[in-house]
Amino acid sequence: MNGIFSRNEAFVALIILGLVLIIGSINPNFFTLGTLYDLLRSSVVMGIFGVGVLMVLVSGGTDISFTAIAAFCTYVTSRYLNSIGFEGSVLVAFLISGAIGVLLGLINAILISSFKLPTLIVTLGTGNMFRGFMLAFIGTKIVTVLPPGMIRFSRTEFFPVTTLIGGTNGLSAAVFVLLAVVPVTWYILNYTMLGRGIYAIGGDRVAAERAGLNINVIQFFIYCYVGFLAGIAGIVHSSLVRTANPFDLVGTELSVIAAVVLGGARITGGHGTILGAILGVFLVIIINNSLIMMGVPSYWQSAVIGMIIILGTSITALQSKRESRVSIVDNQ
Amino acid sequence: MKKFFVVMMVVFLVALLVSPVMAKKYTIATVVKLDGIAWFERMREGVKKFAQDTGHEAFLVGPPRADAALQVQIIEDLIAQGVDAICVVPFSPEAVEPVLKRAMDQGIVVITHEASNIQNAHWDLEAFDNYAFGAKLMDYLASYMGEEGEYATMVGSLTSKTHMEWITGSVERQKEKYPQMKLVTESPLECYDDQTRAYENMKELLRTYPNLRGVRTSASTAAPGCGLAVEEAGLQDRVHVVGPSLVSLSGQYLKTGAVKVIGFWDPADAGYAMNKLAVMVLEGQEVTDGMDLGVPGYNKLRMDGRVLYGEAWVFVTKDNMDQYNF
Repeated sequence: MNGIFSRNEAFVALIILGLVLIIGSINPNFFTLGTLYDLLRSSVVMGIFGVGVLMVLVSGGTDISFTAIAAFCTYVTSRYLNSIGFEGSVLVAFLISGAIGVLLGLINAILISSFKLPTLIVTLGTGNMFRGFMLAFIGTKIVTVLPPGMIRFSRTEFFPVTTLIGGTNGLSAAVFVLLAVVPVTWYILNYTMLGRGIYAIGGDRVAAERAGLNINVIQFFIYCYVGFLAGIAGIVHSSLVRTANPFDLVGTELSVIAAVVLGGARITGGHGTILGAILGVFLVIIINNSLIMMGVPSYWQSAVIGMIIILGTSITALQSKRESRVSIVDNQ
Repeated sequence: MKKFFVVMMVVFLVALLVSPVMAKKYTIATVVKLDGIAWFERMREGVKKFAQDTGHEAFLVGPPRADAALQVQIIEDLIAQGVDAICVVPFSPEAVEPVLKRAMDQGIVVITHEASNIQNAHWDLEAFDNYAFGAKLMDYLASYMGEEGEYATMVGSLTSKTHMEWITGSVERQKEKYPQMKLVTESPLECYDDQTRAYENMKELLRTYPNLRGVRTSASTAAPGCGLAVEEAGLQDRVHVVGPSLVSLSGQYLKTGAVKVIGFWDPADAGYAMNKLAVMVLEGQEVTDGMDLGVPGYNKLRMDGRVLYGEAWVFVTKDNMDQYNF
């Protein structure tokens, strides 16, 4: 039972593999490099969000304010850079947006660790607050002409290929942002005291406290880091759609959480891996972006996604149940 | 001399009596769904222009949030203020029925817009018939596609009545006039009014149907979403995006040719026309089929029960996009 197939990630990977084979057999056009580029590009924003959500879930919390933070950061950053006529690199946009994200995450952290409030309630409140503040005081007008740096970033592509229809398709530069975020977070979670502390407080808060971990410091780090990631994801999102729309993103938080749970993270905390979260995101993205290819009518799209989420999570849940039974037997 | 004074006096009194009849000033409120967004700011320009042109006191108000209950409150306030007429763009027609009934009971003239199923109004004024608008958009798409090839359709959601009517009008026109064109999507794809979703739908359409030549979108954010996908793939000359949108949303793609034609109606004209219609009703003039409101697009209104349809569609390509600031 301790082989590779006892892990949740393996199940999700198998589902992905099966799904890809089914889609490809229905529509062979699926097996092109262009498809892979498109799917990767679509995964970036949800992937960055997913990494943040994973960290929160592992610590035993739930954050639903990250989409509001992302919309806030990117809207404010785009408006600000446009107002000063900034024409430089997109890195500046990432820095400003990330910094605003850290500040908003700090508000979450203060409320959560100082007042010991439940994370779901706090982030439900702050998410609405950030969004309302932005719409009321900063504006509702959609920015359709982004700062030039962000447009250049969205146009940057690598390894172009010719598509079936005669156009070109390349690997979006945005994919490399996800490729940077994933290993950094993976390292933090697995190879630092801080990261192990996050697993510890999610597994058993009291035990973690007695073991001498400073829970406040850990929680401050988690929510600031998630805010930072949200800020980054916001800029990527705006660049990719080439508009900064204050009404965007909010409303997608539950599908991100569903994707991460699909990848084996547990809502109760203590369990979950970066690999699982990313695989969960890929699965949802592949489903979302392949139903037209499979010829599934619009009416059925949400139903199919719902069924796969239930199927996927019940497999992982059964798996964890069996695991705990095995460990009891082992102990006896 | 005394006689002259008497005559002067009489003339003066008669003038006093007649003048209010000759130039009675009405107070007309226009209530919109949401205050502050570009669409209704443009409508405000039309209402202001009406006030300047006619001297009536016409103004525009709306709730700060898109909320049916807040809109009802505003109408209640206006009834209490005793305005002469209320023009409403209801957030939800059902939600405003009771309060509009109360307004009419108090003798206030009620004109609605974008609410062809309304019961409690003197008239509902629509910029155009949705099916006819859809047919027009299809004519544009067909001309870019050379009247042949595969095309797809997209709506915000399958439950959006307006979007479905636009698409039905388009598809019927295609079947009737352009038999060489082929619809590849059995039911319209949904984009949930989300630009990213529209972009991803378009990408997938391009993968699935290598012979795709056009797409008829519906949500105002779908045309730019699809346009971005077309532009990224460098297919501006091959794949044509046509659908309702606004210059502020689709302008950058109209410029590059990734979106060919967008259609909409001008809210400024709609506001002007509603106010004008309200004054006609207040002055007791007869509203007839085929009448002219003297506002572009509202020159030959078609009457259908309580609903008046104009032909106030505006179609914009990269050549005339500079005339529109919303």
